[in-house]
Amino acid sequence: MSWKTVLRLVSVNVKASRMIRGEKFRRYRENKGVTYALYLLACALGLLVGWIVGNFFRGITDQALKNVILEGAANLFVTLPTVVLLYGLVFTQMSQIQRAGFKISIQPLYWLPITWEEHTVASVLANMLGVPLIITTFICSSILLASLFLGLVPLAVFTVFALLVSLFLASITTEAFKILQVRISGTVTKAAGRAAVWVRLIGSIIFFVVFYSVYFSLYYNVSPLTLIESVVSGQRMLWFIPYLWPGVALSAFASGFLFETFLFSFASLAFIYFLFRVAVNLNVRFGLYEAPSLKISRGVYAPKAGFLGKLGFSSLEAAIIRKDFKAFTRRYELMFIFIFPIIVIIMPILSTMRGSALPQTFSPFIFVYLTLLPGALMTVILGSIIVGSEGKGINYLFASPISAKSLIKAKYSFTTIFSLAVTLICSVVAGLLTVTSIQIAVIGFVEAVFLIFALAGVSLTFGIKGADFRELPPRPRMIEPIWSLVNLIVCLFVGLLIVAPLIPYGIMLIFEAGDWLAISLPLPEYYPYLALFVSGIIAIAIAFVFYKMALGNAEKLLLKAEV
Amino acid sequence: MRKHLSNRGVATLTYLPAVKLAGVSKRYGDVTAVDYLDLEVKKGEILGLLGPNGSGKSTTIKMILGLVKPDSGSINVLGVNVEDDPVAVKRKVGYVPESPRIYEFLTGIEFLDFTGDVYGMAPEEKKKRIEEFVMALDLEGREGDIISSYSEGMKQKVVIISALMHKPELLLLDEPLSGLDPKSARIVKDLLRELASQGVTAIMSTHVLEIAQAMCDRIAIMYGGRLLALGTMKELRAKAKMPESGLEDIFLKLTGTGDIKPIVEALTK
Repeated sequence: MSWKTVLRLVSVNVKASRMIRGEKFRRYRENKGVTYALYLLACALGLLVGWIVGNFFRGITDQALKNVILEGAANLFVTLPTVVLLYGLVFTQMSQIQRAGFKISIQPLYWLPITWEEHTVASVLANMLGVPLIITTFICSSILLASLFLGLVPLAVFTVFALLVSLFLASITTEAFKILQVRISGTVTKAAGRAAVWVRLIGSIIFFVVFYSVYFSLYYNVSPLTLIESVVSGQRMLWFIPYLWPGVALSAFASGFLFETFLFSFASLAFIYFLFRVAVNLNVRFGLYEAPSLKISRGVYAPKAGFLGKLGFSSLEAAIIRKDFKAFTRRYELMFIFIFPIIVIIMPILSTMRGSALPQTFSPFIFVYLTLLPGALMTVILGSIIVGSEGKGINYLFASPISAKSLIKAKYSFTTIFSLAVTLICSVVAGLLTVTSIQIAVIGFVEAVFLIFALAGVSLTFGIKGADFRELPPRPRMIEPIWSLVNLIVCLFVGLLIVAPLIPYGIMLIFEAGDWLAISLPLPEYYPYLALFVSGIIAIAIAFVFYKMALGNAEKLLLKAEV
Repeated sequence: MRKHLSNRGVATLTYLPAVKLAGVSKRYGDVTAVDYLDLEVKKGEILGLLGPNGSGKSTTIKMILGLVKPDSGSINVLGVNVEDDPVAVKRKVGYVPESPRIYEFLTGIEFLDFTGDVYGMAPEEKKKRIEEFVMALDLEGREGDIISSYSEGMKQKVVIISALMHKPELLLLDEPLSGLDPKSARIVKDLLRELASQGVTAIMSTHVLEIAQAMCDRIAIMYGGRLLALGTMKELRAKAKMPESGLEDIFLKLTGTGDIKPIVEALTK
């Protein structure tokens, strides 16, 4: 194995990752200072933290307190390898997810004289770089300096070694998992046949939801102390899991058990070597594996009359709507859109399951939240990217006999139909989860419909204005960030304006629900219906104005087709 | 065809050209892509557009389709001013772009179905045309696969079908035979000749001079955005004063890129 080749490949991988993150660079040789600045900064910050902790410790005169701190520090050191392993897995896996939707290969050129071992090591090392290594650098430098004051230098040095081993373990696991993932999804695609599109869509959604649920719970729901306690006790109980061996070795070292220290250290290295061989062999077998193509249809082609035609859409408009629907079920980078409503639904359920649910009296508000928010969010996002998501394919639309009117009608309809479907599903879920009156349910649903029709016009207007058809990694750009921000702000304002007439009704419900409040807001019985009517008028007016603006923007877009 | 009386009172027939470019120019910053181009293409004619890279061929084709707006001059396609009604022009045109960007998440058949709908084809006609073309260009068995899994040649076939299936009156073809296998290339060539005999006009940009010589009624040679020469093979030979030469030699002489011997010698040293 040539380490020179490995280092060269690592540098290629790093540049590829930077491209995937959307960074622009022109020169092949770059300023090393800038490249390594973050690592240096992490190191400096770590040293600063270590110095502060060390001086704080030195200033303590109470020996008992010193002993408690020393014991706590040793416990902390012992937990760190497992913590590093956990975040290493999360970050390296996230980096792979980022790359997954990007078609251009970032593998080394296979026709060059590079061995699979060199490729695998380079890939593993490159995966460790960035956020995982920056955090590890920070931890290592801080514990090394702090240990000088605490008198824990040998343990700190061993900890640094264990941290690097754990990070490498995480990265190598991700490497092996990445290859398996491609192979397994290829097998599933082949086995699923015509259902492959749906299997892939549902599989991806499940994967993302599980991944993000784990990610969010790790970062928002676990306190550091709980994590340390769990890891310390868990490590001892689960010593037979190879991923915990670096931590177990460290724990044995801290307790002065030299034989166990040697045994688990050696076992950790052996496990790394085993995983490395697994990754290399997987690369040898499946590194060049091309996933089979999705076969959607077989047999005689029969054009369908179509449901959309019956709804009054021309064949051209219906064709664009159908095409967009297929794009959202087949384009990996657009599947993320499905996750938003699911996350919005899942989070309250998770919080309910953790026992921190809102009182039953707030049930109507949960219903309204679940009915209004997912559909409105979907409209805002979908409307803003629906034109930009055409990517380079927009050239085909430019060359086709498509008028601005047809284009806008199709895009607006797709956005509203899709968001209405989401609202309908979320309302049903909300109805099952909460106890609410028919009146509130109907008002909530109708208001959601108003919001969708108005926000679709707004977001489509800005989506065309800021459409970005570049297909740069890690995903097609779809909308310029500044227009995306403008869209969000205007949508927020417009949304509040539409909902405004119903706010007094909401306040009245809060007063009624809260027994602890001695205030009441008397509103006539017909008020909610009147407010809904006014809200509808506002929504229709906004939808009309912004639809016209979107039409104007589309006319301009089709005129300057030189992209 | 327009019938009118001349000032001598004799009825004459004036054939409207299928495509007419009058003083068309297009600049991109400091670069002049097309420089005051005058060009007329007759109905049922196959015009070959030749020229080195960056000579303005693709820009000319895009301007005819209305994809690029000229800085000056006017373009009339099949009796319609492109600037006045680009959608009406596009409806009558079949276009094969230089680098096709099609929806890779659709299957071949879905893309053709989409194209048929965009051009407003009747379902039965669409079905018939798709089946005929899929069979003729050997896409049978793969038409239900996602386009992203196609080879470049297969993608090119899909694009060619999408340009031809709605029976356009004008074909704008930018390197149409690129990536096609010999059988499919032959079918497309024969089809173009047959369509021309039925009155379909074609403007074809290509770097393969043999194809241009074999297929085109007239050839336009562009260089630096200007029209260097226009005519039949016979007329081009006369212009280049090379009565026995093929198109390659004429092209190299007219574009001033003929002296390639020293370059080859330098490379082989």
